[in-house]
Amino acid sequence: MIRVRNLKKTFTSHIKEPGLVGSLKSLVKRKKITKEALKSINLDISQGEIVGLIGANGAGKTTLVKILAGIVHPSEGDVSILGFTPWERDNHYRRQMSLIMGQKSQVWWDLPALDSFLLLKEIYQIKDQPYKKNLEFLADTLMIKEQLKTQVRKLSLGERMKIELMAALLHEPRVIFMDEPTIGLDISAQKAVREFMKNYQREFKPITILTSHYMEDIKELCHRIVIIKEGSFVFDGPLTQIQRMVGDEKCVKVTTKDTSFTFNVPRSELSSTTAEIFKSNEVLDLNIHDPSIEDIIESIMKHGIKTT
Amino acid sequence: MRWWPYLVASEIRKILAFRSDFWITFLGQALIQILIARALWQTIFESTAKQVMKGFTLESMTLYYVIVPLGSRMLTGENMGFLSREIYEGTFTRYLIYPISFFHYKTITYLTYSAFYGLQLGLIFILYQAFHGGISFQVILNLLNGIFFFMMASFVYANLSMLIELLSIWADNIWSLMVMVRFLVFFLGGAYVPLDFFPGIMNQILQFTPFPYVVGLPVMVTMGLTSMKDQIIGCGVLLLWAIIFGILSRFIWKKGQYQYAGVGI
Repeated sequence: MIRVRNLKKTFTSHIKEPGLVGSLKSLVKRKKITKEALKSINLDISQGEIVGLIGANGAGKTTLVKILAGIVHPSEGDVSILGFTPWERDNHYRRQMSLIMGQKSQVWWDLPALDSFLLLKEIYQIKDQPYKKNLEFLADTLMIKEQLKTQVRKLSLGERMKIELMAALLHEPRVIFMDEPTIGLDISAQKAVREFMKNYQREFKPITILTSHYMEDIKELCHRIVIIKEGSFVFDGPLTQIQRMVGDEKCVKVTTKDTSFTFNVPRSELSSTTAEIFKSNEVLDLNIHDPSIEDIIESIMKHGIKTT
Repeated sequence: MRWWPYLVASEIRKILAFRSDFWITFLGQALIQILIARALWQTIFESTAKQVMKGFTLESMTLYYVIVPLGSRMLTGENMGFLSREIYEGTFTRYLIYPISFFHYKTITYLTYSAFYGLQLGLIFILYQAFHGGISFQVILNLLNGIFFFMMASFVYANLSMLIELLSIWADNIWSLMVMVRFLVFFLGGAYVPLDFFPGIMNQILQFTPFPYVVGLPVMVTMGLTSMKDQIIGCGVLLLWAIIFGILSRFIWKKGQYQYAGVGI
């Protein structure tokens, strides 16, 4: 299981004024800034659970994943995953963990996938029998058998992502971190990856943390979501709880001559609010509907609704 | 460490995946450098009207420049700047995820390239000798001995490269530093001009640095111009510098891993 306590991470970086003068100045003196990427994070995840980690760009999602995968050292706090501290990079931990990054390839570009897999087989010390079984299972499920002998760099984006998934799952990891696994993929490839992950989760029951900007990924795969905003968790609970939280609200989208805006309003105040809008604006269109999960999460990310 | 033969095989497959690069290096680069050096030294020998300069005839000087470009290629192993580029782009992350030592992985990769270029050196050396002076058992023995010394030197250079390239965790771009170090190693090692042409005092000072041992010594061993005593001392010195650079690069990594932010992922 994953246990995170008071995890903090602060990054220091340099900033430069724009323009040539700024560049020249930075040759001599640079301004240092410190950013708190994570502020006292606490998290518990049990075996077999799949958690969706959601947040705006720069909210701290990837930093958290990097720490849990052992790539980055935290500034403070404790993490225990399957009894290991990730950043100590114990080989026993690394053999049970996988990181899948939608935007970065981990397989060797100049080699056919099968060559990469053979090397990974030795690196992860996978025995012949499970290797063959997993290779077959993954290639069949992902429908990528034909492309395994082609140089990875010559494959399409969707095919490469499938190869990445295979490479990351060959050793049957007990902990999986997926960072934007469907980014840049077309709709059918996204669907295939989601379907595959659902089956894989059912079959092998790993702990999975998924970060994605595609709500479809989260809705299809995760029962529990964690929303992170400016380095802190603002929501941690079941997806259904989010829908219940705002079950009493309606989403109103108003288009006037000059602008359009969307907001949530309690059902009891709906008529008075819309009347007020009609009175004070030249309304061209008014649309009232139940808030979608996307709307709710966006609202939480913006306004940081505190829940239990 | 069961994985290393597979890594070696993968790296060889990678080298062979680029056929044009293979032949350009094998024939083009080496041939051009040899021809330029031959033309240059022929002019120098003719203008000074000397048959022997610092112990070199025109023939032995040409042989020196047959060995230097291919030996240098062995020395630099994997492409210069590869590791720092991986750190810059974030692909370095893979070595932190895989359950293996990053240093072992990189050293094996590096030495695979060196060994492969060693084959190129061997082939061109034999071809050259076939037309000049002939091939004897002693020539082959010198060649194998020379390749061994170049491999040792590559191990030293691999550790030095890692030490420098790991600095990109802090500095992002260290290209100019790498170019400077490479120039220093090659110049002070005797890749551009044999060390015998350096002033005496400079040669004495250089003996306290790794430079003459990573270029000049392996070239002279390949040519069969060193004594057993010099070879034994050379081996010891190379090993010592490999240990020094190895310890320093591990120290840099120990500090750097707290700084590494996995930028780019």
